[in-house]
Amino acid sequence: MIDRTEPILEAKGLTKHFPVGGLRMPFSPQRLLHAVDEVDLAIFPREIVAVVGESGSGKSTVARLLAMLYRPTRGEIRYRGRLLGSLRTRRALLAYRRHVQMVLQDPYSSINPVYPASHGIFRALQLHAPHRSAREQRATVERSLEIVGLTPAAEFIDKYPYELSGGQRQRIGFATALACGPELILADEPVSMLDVSIRIGLLNLMAGLRDEQGVSFLYITHDIASARYVADRMFVMYGGHVVERGPVEDVLAHAKHPYTQLLLSAVPDPRAEVTVGPSSETGEPPRVVNPREGCRFRERCPLAIDECSRVTPRLRELRYQHFAACHVATRDGDAGSTGAWPATRTGDVGMSANGQHEGAHDARGPGVVYEGVWSQGR
Amino acid sequence: MDGAATILDVEDLVVDYVGERSNVRAVDRVSLQLAAGGFLGIVGESGCGKSTLCFAIARLLTPPAQIVSGKVHFAGKDLVQLHEGRLRHLRWREYSVVMQSAMNALNPVMTVGAQLADAMQAHERISKQRARDRAAQVMRLVNIDPLHLKSYPHQLSGGMRQRAMIAMALVFTPNLIIMDEPTSALDVVGQRSLMKQIRELQKQLGFAVIFVTHDMSLVSNFADRVAIMYAGQVVELGATRVLFTDPKHPYSAGLLQAFPSIHGPKQRLTGIPGNPPDLRYPPKGCRFNPRCPQVHERCLVEEPWPHVLPDRDIVRCHLYARQEAMAG
Repeated sequence: MIDRTEPILEAKGLTKHFPVGGLRMPFSPQRLLHAVDEVDLAIFPREIVAVVGESGSGKSTVARLLAMLYRPTRGEIRYRGRLLGSLRTRRALLAYRRHVQMVLQDPYSSINPVYPASHGIFRALQLHAPHRSAREQRATVERSLEIVGLTPAAEFIDKYPYELSGGQRQRIGFATALACGPELILADEPVSMLDVSIRIGLLNLMAGLRDEQGVSFLYITHDIASARYVADRMFVMYGGHVVERGPVEDVLAHAKHPYTQLLLSAVPDPRAEVTVGPSSETGEPPRVVNPREGCRFRERCPLAIDECSRVTPRLRELRYQHFAACHVATRDGDAGSTGAWPATRTGDVGMSANGQHEGAHDARGPGVVYEGVWSQGR
Repeated sequence: MDGAATILDVEDLVVDYVGERSNVRAVDRVSLQLAAGGFLGIVGESGCGKSTLCFAIARLLTPPAQIVSGKVHFAGKDLVQLHEGRLRHLRWREYSVVMQSAMNALNPVMTVGAQLADAMQAHERISKQRARDRAAQVMRLVNIDPLHLKSYPHQLSGGMRQRAMIAMALVFTPNLIIMDEPTSALDVVGQRSLMKQIRELQKQLGFAVIFVTHDMSLVSNFADRVAIMYAGQVVELGATRVLFTDPKHPYSAGLLQAFPSIHGPKQRLTGIPGNPPDLRYPPKGCRFNPRCPQVHERCLVEEPWPHVLPDRDIVRCHLYARQEAMAG
C-alpha cells in the first residue's frame, strides 16, 4: 500500500531548541530547552504516520517545524526533494502550504466565531486558487464538506460555528485542509478534544481520505491505541528524541524500547482484569534543558546501565524496518532479555502475571502478546 | 453492594438550570447507592450531566443550577435539606471533593502548605503545629516529599499538583471523596499511576469514591461499579465486570465499541453515529433514539423506565422490559 518511491516530506537531523529563562547574568550560559533533537523522518504518499509521546516529548514541535511555523535550529526539511529553506518566493511558499496543510487540536478555538464555519474554506481557496470563479469555489467547498461527511453540504455551508458540535467543527477543520487538494495533512492531536463516541468517526475519516483520496497524514497523538487503529507506521518520541520507530503492528507486538513498553502497559484495557499493586512508576517526562550526553529515559528506566548515562543511544535497526534507540534492547529478544532484568516476560499488557490472562487472551482471538519489562500486577 | 453498609443513597435527584424562557434539565431522576469503601465510576460524554450530578451530591451547585427534587442520604441526613451552616460541618470532614483541574483549583499565590492549613483551620480548631504535622502526613500519603509544602503550585508538575489536591481532600480522612475528572490533564502513564495511588489509599484508609470521567477505559480496571450517563439520565448501572463484558444498553455497548484496542486483531470500529442531544430540546421518547441502532416504534413515543435485571441495577431501555417482567 505504501508507495516507497519518493517521500513527500523528508526531515534529516531536525532540531529545535528554545531559549528559556528571562534575563541572564553576565557570563552565565544560555539555557536551551531541547524540544526536538536530531529527528529523521520521511512521509511517503498514501500513508498515515503516527507520532506518539507524552506531553513535552516534542511531538507537536515536529508538526510545527514541518508546517514552517517554526524555523529549525539545525537540520533540513525537503519537500519533494527541494529544501524548504530554498523556498523564498511567495509563490513557492504558497505552493508548499497548499500541499502540506495542518489541522489543529482545538476545534472550539480554531474557527472564527463571527463568520460561517465555511468561511475559512473559502479563504483558503481564495488564497491558493484565486483564478477560480465564485461558482467553482462554492462547488469545491461543497465537495470537501461532503467528503468529510457534513451532508447536506448546501446546508452546512451557511452554518455558524455555534450551530455545530465539536465533532462537526473538527470535520470543518479537515474540510479546510482538504479543499486545496493537499498531499499531506499534519494533524496535531485532532481528536483529543472530542468525545469518545465521536473520535472513531474522525479516525475513520482519516483512513478513508488516505485510501480514497491518497492523502498522507502525520498523526500526532498521545493515544497509542488510536495510532494503532489508523496508522501504518509509528514514531515514539521521548524528551525530544525518537526512541523507536517502525511499522505499527511490529512496534506494538515487539516493542523494543523500555519507554514504548511503559506506554503500552499504561493503556487501559476495558476488557482486562487488573490487580492493584503498588504503583510501579510515578516518574514524568523530563524538561530537557541543556542536557548532557546520554539516554534521556535513563532515570525512569529499569534497565539502565552505565553506558546509558555516557552515550546517547542511536536508532538501530533491530527488526525489519523497525528501529529503537536503546543500548540494552537486542536484535532477537526484547529489551531485558540480556539478563539485566529478571522476569522478562510478564505476559499480556494490562494483566496480572499470575496466569489468569491466558484464558482472557484466547477469548480475544489470535492477538498479539506483548513482551516487556513493565508488569502492572506487582 | 453486599456486606458493606450503604453510606450514600441518592434518590430520584433532579437538577435544572434555570433559564429565562425555559429550564434545562441537566440531571434527570438519578438514583444510585454507594457502599462504604466502594468505588463508583460515573461515565459519560461532555454535557451529559455527570459533573452537575457530582456537584449536586456535594451541594456545591451555584445558580442558575438548582436541585428541583430528590434526596441525597448521607451520614444519616438528607443533604438536599441541610442549611449551609450544617453542611459546613460535613464538608471536608465527612466528604470532600477533588476538582477537575488542579491548576485552577489551587491558589497560585499561596504555598501548598498554606492552602492545606487554611482548609484545616476553616473546618476544625487546630493548632498551627498540628496542622503542619497533619499536612506533612497527608503529603507523604500521596508520595510527595513534605518539602513541597513550601512550594507554590507552579513549581509542581501536573501529576504532583493532582496528588496535592488529593492530599487536601484527605486531611480529615473523610468517608466519601467525590472526584471530578481528576486525571484528565495527565498523560497516560501519569493517569495510570494516579489511579493506582487512589486505589491504594482507598484500601489503606477505607473511604468511598465517586469517580467521574469521560474515559470509560480508565475506570474499567479500578471501579467496583459503573454508572453510564446519557443526556442527564443514568442509562445503565451495574458491577464493572458485568457491565464491561455484557453491556445491555445500546449506548454502553456503543461506547465500549468506540475504543480502539491495542490487543487482538485490528477491527473496524464505528463509534456512535450522530451527536448527543441538546438538552434544551431532548428527543421525545428515549433520549438515545436518534442514535440507537436498535430503535423501534416504542422508543420514539414512550420514555423507558429504569429496568432492574438480575445481574445489574439499572438498564433504561425498552429492550429489557420483558426480561425484567420474567425475572421479577
